[in-house]
Amino acid sequence: MNYRNTEMIGKSLEGQGRARKLTAKHRDWFDAYLFLAPTLLIFLVFVFGPLVSSLVISFYKWNLLSFSQRTFVGFRHFASLFAGHSSARFYLIYGNTLLFVAAEIILFLLVGLLCAMLLNYQFKRPMQYVLRVGYFLPLVTSTAIVAGIWAFLLNTNLGIVNYYLGVIGIQPVPWLNNPYWAKASVIIFDVWKNFGFYTLVFLAGLQNIPGYLYEAAEIDGASSFYKLRRITLPMLSPTTFFLLVIGFINSVQLFDSPYVLTDGTPGDSTRTVVMLIYQDAFQNFDLGKASAVAMTLFAVILLGSIGQFIGQRRWVYYG
Amino acid sequence: MTRDVRALQTVGKATRYAGAILLMLIILIPFLWMISTSLSSVKAAYSLPPNWIPRHLNWEHYLYVLTVQNVFQYFLNSVEISVSITVGQLVFCAMAAYAFARLTFPGQKVLFALIISSLMIPLQVTIVPVFILMKWLHLLNTRGSLILPALSSAFGVFFLRQFFLTVPRELSESAKIDGAGNFTIFSRIFLPVSTAALSALAVFTFLYFWNELLRPLIFLDSQSKKTLPLFILLLRSMNGGGDATEVMAGAAIAILPIFVVFLFAQRYIVEGIVMTGIKG
Repeated sequence: MNYRNTEMIGKSLEGQGRARKLTAKHRDWFDAYLFLAPTLLIFLVFVFGPLVSSLVISFYKWNLLSFSQRTFVGFRHFASLFAGHSSARFYLIYGNTLLFVAAEIILFLLVGLLCAMLLNYQFKRPMQYVLRVGYFLPLVTSTAIVAGIWAFLLNTNLGIVNYYLGVIGIQPVPWLNNPYWAKASVIIFDVWKNFGFYTLVFLAGLQNIPGYLYEAAEIDGASSFYKLRRITLPMLSPTTFFLLVIGFINSVQLFDSPYVLTDGTPGDSTRTVVMLIYQDAFQNFDLGKASAVAMTLFAVILLGSIGQFIGQRRWVYYG
Repeated sequence: MTRDVRALQTVGKATRYAGAILLMLIILIPFLWMISTSLSSVKAAYSLPPNWIPRHLNWEHYLYVLTVQNVFQYFLNSVEISVSITVGQLVFCAMAAYAFARLTFPGQKVLFALIISSLMIPLQVTIVPVFILMKWLHLLNTRGSLILPALSSAFGVFFLRQFFLTVPRELSESAKIDGAGNFTIFSRIFLPVSTAALSALAVFTFLYFWNELLRPLIFLDSQSKKTLPLFILLLRSMNGGGDATEVMAGAAIAILPIFVVFLFAQRYIVEGIVMTGIKG
């Protein structure tokens, strides 16, 4: 069917009065709701329903083992978390989580960008392939599985990391047994596991920067530092902003790596908020308190995300 | 002069190659250690300095994991769960994305805003009520408890909608004039022209759920239902801390399928991650 025919039919349809148009419109409405039905149902039952329930449950004392008994306790869980007998541990665990968030975001962006700049080069064919497999293998493997490998590598007495550090004269590091080193271990592991994603997205960002910007700067005799500071970084700022948001949402939910590497130990030094929810709900069976903690996490994610969107206007450059 | 520049370029190129390869080897150390340990005898596995190349190849740990521990069952569970979720998301997210990208209906903006806002509600926040719901539905300790809530996702809907918005209107308009309904336009035009986006979403979804730990840990109870990540935790918990050789044989078997797929579809997977990353 050629274009003129389509246009003519379109015109004749227009002429056929309102009734027909209205039914076509209603047909679209009906189809739209039909197409949306499965997604809306899933979101209602498994996302929004549970979000509201979570808030409601946080006002109850509810034990998983005596499932049929619930007592309304109002804000008691929140009071205990923020100012009562659970508060010291609650603040400690939030402190851990926020430290992980801050350290990981900085390192994700830094390591991601450095590796992207290293790989942003036309390597010969087989080399390109080998490098891609090598750099992005950690990214596609399961955290629980590779953290299981790392736990052996980081063992204080038997691990190869301390062995090779010993070879160059460094005393054994208590990687998983000291509060500070355990935190560092989780962070190092997570950077190793996830930097590939940041590298990939930065690589795509670097390849989208038009070459003439660099050529113009070179004609003016600009140094490579100047080019990095004045061209690369500003042009990458939308990419960086996107990665910052993703990095925040991912690391604030940190669970898998500390759970497998340290299980929150020593003490609570590597316990995260999600680990606390898991422990409260499924090891101490305290559904009410776990829900209260979950609501605080939701509030943090909400505030953090809104804050980032407001803050972006100051530094993100949209060409 | 030109010779100097060329020499300088060769040196630069060589440093870049050397640096990239060296860093890659450091990144791969855990995997190399995994393979070497899984093939060592128990005694050799703990010896320092490590024997990177085992004197004899000991396949017994693999045999143990394959037969005594029946890793195949865990593998099948992982496949069933992640494939079901991936297929479900492709269908349901694409349908919702079509409605948002191509149709106009009352409540469109509100519903879209609602779905996008749920990106800020990670499943960890709602895990307690979802667990209670699964208990009520008698779905605990079934694969369904993991599959059902994941059959659609805000990310998938948003990602595909962005892609569908770029499909030229002429394509669907002319089909409409030929009398095609929305379902035909969706399945005959939108799905075929969106294979790049659909496969990117498939890669992303499959990897995410293949690697997932928290929900399987909470929802699955019996050994026969558990997934590969849980299997590695199980191996580690045996004999107080787990025998490195057996844990590494298990880890190698668990990583192998993903590694093989990655080798063959590497370019595809990398592009998929970039695509979901950039448009998301």
